[in-house]
Amino acid sequence: MESRARRFKSNSEAALANPVLQGNMRTAKGKFVDKRAISIKEIDDFEGTREAAKALRNRVIENLDLWLEKFEEIATARGATVLWAKDGAEICRHVVDIGKQHGIKKAVKSKSMLSEEAGLNLALEAAGIQPVETDLGEYILQINNNEPPSHIIAPVVHKGLDEVADLFHKVHKTPRKTEIPALTREAREVLREHFLTAEMGISGGNFLVAETGSVALVTNEGNGRMVTTLPRVHVVITGIEKVIPTLEDLSTLMRLLPRSATGQSISNYVSVLTGTKAAGDLDGPEHLYFILVDNGRADVVGSEFQDMLRCIRCGACMNHCPVYQTIGGHAYGWVYPGPMGSVLTPLYTGIENAIDLPHAATLCNQCGVVCPVKIPLPELLRKLREKQVEKNLRPWFERVAFRLWAWVASCPTLYGIGTWFAVRYLKWLAGGNQTIPILGAAPEWTRGRDFPAPEGKTFRELYAGRKS
Amino acid sequence: MTSREDILARVRAKLNRNPDNAATGRVAIEATLAARSQGPRPAVNPQKSALVERLIEKSLAYSSTVDQVATAAEAPAAVARYLTGLNLPLKAVVWPELARLDWSGSGLAVQARGAQDVDLVGITGCFCAIAETGTLMLCGSPDTPATVSLLPETHIAFVPASRIVSGMEEGFALARAELGQLPRAVNFISGPSRTGDIEQTIVLGAHGPYRVHLVLLTEE
Amino acid sequence: MRVALFVTCLVDLMRPRIGFAAIELLEAADCEVIVPAAQTCCGQPAWNSGDRAAAAKLAKKVIAEFEGHEYVVAPSGSCADHIRTEYPVILADEPDWYARAVALGSRVYELTDFLVNVAKLVSVPGNFAGRITYHDSCTGLRSLGIKAQPRALLAKLSGVDLQEMNGAEECCGFGGTFSVKFGEVSAAIAERKCNNACATGASAIVGGDLGCLLNIEGKLRRMGDTQTRVMHIAEVLAAKE
Repeated sequence: MESRARRFKSNSEAALANPVLQGNMRTAKGKFVDKRAISIKEIDDFEGTREAAKALRNRVIENLDLWLEKFEEIATARGATVLWAKDGAEICRHVVDIGKQHGIKKAVKSKSMLSEEAGLNLALEAAGIQPVETDLGEYILQINNNEPPSHIIAPVVHKGLDEVADLFHKVHKTPRKTEIPALTREAREVLREHFLTAEMGISGGNFLVAETGSVALVTNEGNGRMVTTLPRVHVVITGIEKVIPTLEDLSTLMRLLPRSATGQSISNYVSVLTGTKAAGDLDGPEHLYFILVDNGRADVVGSEFQDMLRCIRCGACMNHCPVYQTIGGHAYGWVYPGPMGSVLTPLYTGIENAIDLPHAATLCNQCGVVCPVKIPLPELLRKLREKQVEKNLRPWFERVAFRLWAWVASCPTLYGIGTWFAVRYLKWLAGGNQTIPILGAAPEWTRGRDFPAPEGKTFRELYAGRKS
Repeated sequence: MTSREDILARVRAKLNRNPDNAATGRVAIEATLAARSQGPRPAVNPQKSALVERLIEKSLAYSSTVDQVATAAEAPAAVARYLTGLNLPLKAVVWPELARLDWSGSGLAVQARGAQDVDLVGITGCFCAIAETGTLMLCGSPDTPATVSLLPETHIAFVPASRIVSGMEEGFALARAELGQLPRAVNFISGPSRTGDIEQTIVLGAHGPYRVHLVLLTEE
Repeated sequence: MRVALFVTCLVDLMRPRIGFAAIELLEAADCEVIVPAAQTCCGQPAWNSGDRAAAAKLAKKVIAEFEGHEYVVAPSGSCADHIRTEYPVILADEPDWYARAVALGSRVYELTDFLVNVAKLVSVPGNFAGRITYHDSCTGLRSLGIKAQPRALLAKLSGVDLQEMNGAEECCGFGGTFSVKFGEVSAAIAERKCNNACATGASAIVGGDLGCLLNIEGKLRRMGDTQTRVMHIAEVLAAKE
């Protein structure tokens, strides 16, 4: 997917001015945040479980090559074909090749963020294979001209009921529904047809279990099961960092993932899929393909950003982020929004292509506190800011301002003189009022709020005055 | 160089891979796989009656309904009661594993096969049930096809009380012990399918069943 | 106890009375207060913006100025945390400075934390009365565990009615340089905080970090609220009204 992260500032301001989005974000925040808080109480030792999850994820990353080889060995022994893709284009090539090899006309998809990274749907269409998204949110986006998702778990959190009702009415050519259950039922009926006739199912992979060569799919709707039970070919597209060692590790992560994502104790369906249809089986794919994807991940291994590879794609960080809550996901411009997106987009699409994202954060660490695998997100954002300075990507006036500040702050006399003038100037600007409404030196501050007036003398000068 | 070689080579370079640490790494991997260590576990009373109680509590919380009979022989009658109560026809597709039960004795017309789209009711057993979260663990095989719990609108599952375990870890341990290797499809099911994608409002009955009904077999 | 006051650049520039209130509180706890005269800024804005060199330079200055003192107290969670937690990270590549940073860090405290847990202040000198609500600044809360301490101190004022706001622990939208880079988003977050705070009916919004307080006050006034006071907890505890 092409990144629009360069337009973050203008996109974020457009988001502020969108009343439907603002209303939906307010509602969503309450549900995700409150439900999660209630559900984590069920675990007894939430902090201990986070620590265990962090440890097991690190264990794999620290020997990632060996774990990948192990997974490949066992998955292959169980009948799967394991393929590797360096980037999005190669993902598309693999899937199209598989499609052509097996005479696929239609592919039903359950959620795969990696397929978004790759723009897979467009490639399939160009190759004459009809892709059908089956996750309700992703389906809504697909029929709305392939609109990108704005959240990794709740793709249409930004849409209201009316928008969806209009869309179904227009695209399905059915009478316009007004209730959410009726719309859901309509989608079920439309998509059921596709499930029954598609020859290929494409899914992501929440986790790859090395012990058994399996993929674990975590869903609520049942589309993950449909897509991997009925069609004769199943393709799993997932990042190389998704390997976990054992089924016990899967059990540990399953205590954290649904709770962190939606506040559920467990997702409706957890499917652990291994190999192809066995002799006598009445369902299941005859051919199973894993596409293990790099697309920037290998370069993060061993780097100062390695912690980010622990991510289990729960979405808790964005649900709790004050910035994401205010502007929604589209402003971030790529597949992943919020705090994790602000780290991944620069790492996977180039730091210079996402300059604003690491700065669009208050570093409040609400994200770090809720991350089930203890990724120190504010630290990673700060490191990205530092990388920008090292690579000379900051505007010249910013660099000059900090050099000046550091120089003045290192010299107490200069500092004393500078601040003596500054506070008097600001006091004068306030003209006897409590605050200053427009401050040329900090226009971004005063766009939305006033700048309080200082007392008019500095503490240092007053303290020195009192002492003498 | 293939993509596989390229990707692995870069990962190895980033990890400073050399023959020595590769050897110790492989030993570590095998040790991890053998150890199968568990993470922290929430308290679940392992006594049988407590497990039953917890399974019921969690299943209800997840919008399933629950009935109890003593043995499998009484289960078809419980199914008939349930379907009649909802004004649903007494017709179902069942797991071949359950074909031997006396269905017609309770007025039920069943077929033992995989499900098709036209089937409205699917009846399964379960490999085991997880009390911690009110979850059914189903393992696919020719006698226990996955479609029966997936395609129909109504899913009824028989749960022998002796097959209720504390957590997912116990379910996997049982699978390793009894099945050797994992079957193609292991499905953990917790209640009817649902979605919250439209305005974060939960609706039951997305693509999977609308309703899930458990029949506990208390003496099995 | 001898305490060196790290007054912070924002207090120095904008609200000296907070610095004097802090001194009064520390003296009420039987501390002798020294104010190192050459202090300027802890360097946090530079560090958070990725300017490592500037951050290191200021870190070394602060360490040299303050390490000779038994305790260092700052009326700011973010500054205290920066010195305690970040200085060792900033100077990790210079072993001598690293050791000095770690040693200093163990003696640096945020004001309310120091008053409650070290100085064990028994009664506060102020007489502030009225309904207030407390904003938990992010770094103080999540990095230093500042939560109960300000409330314990406020409880010592018999005339104070503390009403917790919804989202007391949510960010106010300041975020240092964030507020001057993404001003509109920052102001929108601040508006939520102001609405939550005012919904309690409080006559004063109180907090422990001046950056947050200036942000909240600025937003309130732009929203047309000229009545609700925005005060640092040191001011409240030492207020003579």
